[in-house]
Amino acid sequence: MTAGTEPARLAVAGRPSLWSRIYGLGSVYGKTIRDSRRAFALATGLIVLLFVTGGAAIAGAFGTVATRAQAASLAEILPPIFQGLLGRPVGLSTLGGFIEWRYVVLFFILIPIWSILALSSTIAGEAARGSLELIATSGVARRRIALEKLAAHLTAVGLAMVIFAIAIWVTGQAFATLPGDEIAPEAAVGYAALTAIMILLPGAIAFAAAPFVGRGAAAGLAALVMLASYFVNGFRDSIPVFDALAPLSYFSWTFDHVPLAGLYDWGSLVLPTALVVAFLVVGVLGFERRDMASTIHVPSPHLPRFLVGLRDPLGRSFGERIPAALAWGLGLSLYVLLLASGASAMSELFERLPTIEAMLRAVYPNADLESVGGMLQIVFVEFGLVVFGFTAATIVGGWASDESSGRLEVILSNPMTRMAWLIRSGLGVYLAILLSAAVVAVATAIGTASQGSDVATPTLGSFVLALYGIALAGIGIAAAGLVRASIAAPVVIVVTVGTFLITLFAVPLKLPEWFADLALTSHYGSPLLGDWDLVGVVASIVLGVGGLLVGAWGLSRRDVRV
Amino acid sequence: MAAVIQTEKLTKSYGVHRGIVDVDLEVQEGEIFGFLGPNGAGKTTTIRTLLDLIRPTSGVGRVFGIVSSDDPVAIHRRIGYIPGEFTLYDRLTGGQTIEYFANLRRGVDKAYQRALIERFDIDPKRRFKELSKGNKQKIGLVIALQHQPELLILDEPTSGLDPLVQQSFFELVREAKAEGRTTFLSSHILSEVEKTCDRVAIIREGRLVKLDSVEGLRDLAHHQVELRFTGPVPTAEFEALPGVSEVVAMDHVLRMRVNGPITPVVRAAARYELLDFVSREPTLEETFLAQYGHSPDASEVTA
Repeated sequence: MTAGTEPARLAVAGRPSLWSRIYGLGSVYGKTIRDSRRAFALATGLIVLLFVTGGAAIAGAFGTVATRAQAASLAEILPPIFQGLLGRPVGLSTLGGFIEWRYVVLFFILIPIWSILALSSTIAGEAARGSLELIATSGVARRRIALEKLAAHLTAVGLAMVIFAIAIWVTGQAFATLPGDEIAPEAAVGYAALTAIMILLPGAIAFAAAPFVGRGAAAGLAALVMLASYFVNGFRDSIPVFDALAPLSYFSWTFDHVPLAGLYDWGSLVLPTALVVAFLVVGVLGFERRDMASTIHVPSPHLPRFLVGLRDPLGRSFGERIPAALAWGLGLSLYVLLLASGASAMSELFERLPTIEAMLRAVYPNADLESVGGMLQIVFVEFGLVVFGFTAATIVGGWASDESSGRLEVILSNPMTRMAWLIRSGLGVYLAILLSAAVVAVATAIGTASQGSDVATPTLGSFVLALYGIALAGIGIAAAGLVRASIAAPVVIVVTVGTFLITLFAVPLKLPEWFADLALTSHYGSPLLGDWDLVGVVASIVLGVGGLLVGAWGLSRRDVRV
Repeated sequence: MAAVIQTEKLTKSYGVHRGIVDVDLEVQEGEIFGFLGPNGAGKTTTIRTLLDLIRPTSGVGRVFGIVSSDDPVAIHRRIGYIPGEFTLYDRLTGGQTIEYFANLRRGVDKAYQRALIERFDIDPKRRFKELSKGNKQKIGLVIALQHQPELLILDEPTSGLDPLVQQSFFELVREAKAEGRTTFLSSHILSEVEKTCDRVAIIREGRLVKLDSVEGLRDLAHHQVELRFTGPVPTAEFEALPGVSEVVAMDHVLRMRVNGPITPVVRAAARYELLDFVSREPTLEETFLAQYGHSPDASEVTA
């Protein structure tokens, strides 16, 4: 009996503590929670920051009955193509309604990226690395592994939404300037619940697809579904085919649930919730029943030989980044084409509403509200610059993987100095950003030409995206050279988001002018109208060239790291 | 012969973590030099310092007489290198990957490149990400060898290779030596190192603990001796002999480990009637393990 009881005693003695099973290395759940703590903090911090600063900004800028009414009337008469970019215009006389209308993209498009990335990689990423095989052969059933990993993400999202609900309620209490601005606890909970579903639905799609197609394709599929749903629902009034497809968009299912505006339709949450559950079940079963890390091959086209870049690091760096550059460029191009197609309607609206035109002229003194370029300058450039920040982050991140993956070690064992490698490969990054901007420029040309407007000026002006992207990439390359490659993309993302937040909130929050001037995007003038601000142009070139030089100097002085 | 690689008190520390400490070694032109040590001993750190991928904390490393951090490009022009762990371009095929690195060297002998591809049985049309670990390693080897460098620096070059390819690889290294080229390699395939290398260095916890020819390393070590008696085994007598340890008696067989001269054991054995007397020099693997206090059990000795 001794032999039989001893292992049992040892097993009990070695059992992990309850805390380590909840947060730590005591269980798959605990480890997943521990691994996702930074993403949780980032996503929760971002969503709370956006809501609170957004609330403060709106309270500051539209703090009177008159200004609130003016904004509400503008929202209602905006052409459908522009209404599609915003939320449902109800309850705009209240702070909550205004926030929900204005920031729908941020909460329902930006934050779900967290869930897409987490749920596409929680199992598939680990399977691709090979570590999942060790877990799956350590006596834990596959279903349990999947469920614990899933439970960890659901816990993180749940906790984030509790914090978000509290932040919503606090924002209503803190920034209420007009009657009805206070946000009721029920409204806060209702909006947090809606946000949770909007975060989890694309994530669940990624989770379901990952065992079948792998991490990258699953994330891409989920992002595609999310964006397609958003655009189909948002532009249903502008594009007839979208109107027919709109019932398929999950954004349309919760149309009547606008809790911050006082509209509740709890029943509308049932269908998307059921879909979330169904996709998660598919993901768990897919992982349990399929061969581990065996995915369906998704064919991808080969680049023509002359574009692959086998001659030197410049060509190689560029060739390696072409797919990402084209993907970002094409995505943004569709958006430009959509906006361009609605520009004429917008011009007509302003002709009918001189008050609105005067208001816009106060913000954009040189705006040409009759041309497509002028319209794009107002409604596209700011968004396009943010997107290009992420484009630059993606491209710089790929470039940085040369060092973090160990490729650079092989490359540098060839007769080439570190400086030469960094400058040439960095130029390849800039070329990729230029390519992405060129694709947008083509779309701008097509969009403006289709409306019979001036083509050359806005097309040339759209290269402001390249300037900004190169400036950001230069910052990322400099950081990578000075410190280490893995920080390049995060630095670019931080600068992009920071710049966006400054432009978004500096004026409404009455921040000092010098602080607002920190945003590079505020120094480009109106390039789509041919009005270039040399300060921004020069600053971008300096950051681009300087980034290469500083990065090259930094890399030449430090150890190459893997 | 000139020293192709020379280090003087080469030291690298990573903050509070040890890298290598006061490593002194010389690799002569035309020799195959084995660099042995367990994981984390400092082999890769030494190699990466020699290639100027990392910079020494103190001391100096020279390759072809050039201080590695002074003119790394001049060194890289004359070497071929494969790291212990690496990844290359997932989207490129194996052939494109090899071509790219050939281009970085301003071209290579295409016939020799093709011969290497055939010899390693590489499918150049498959994408790098689709290749197995061993096949990726083969691509790395072609990249290191295709320009016929004067010096090969190979960190675990046989990792992931099947025994047949390992054999092909060591043949290539021996061919390089026959052409007067130099090889500096770290490996865990000690039987091959023993057969192939002229000299071997053993590094332990960042410090060089042995550097000698393979034969020299063996001479310094021990012998495994097995005596088969016709009668009872006189264990105590042999245990008392100088240099004798790990004495194990089993039936009429006595096994022991003898450090230093074997003469006392021969003299003592001569006083008894023996059926058999086996003395074997240790393999490099046994020498290596002895350095780390993992000597094989004396009972494992075989004739």
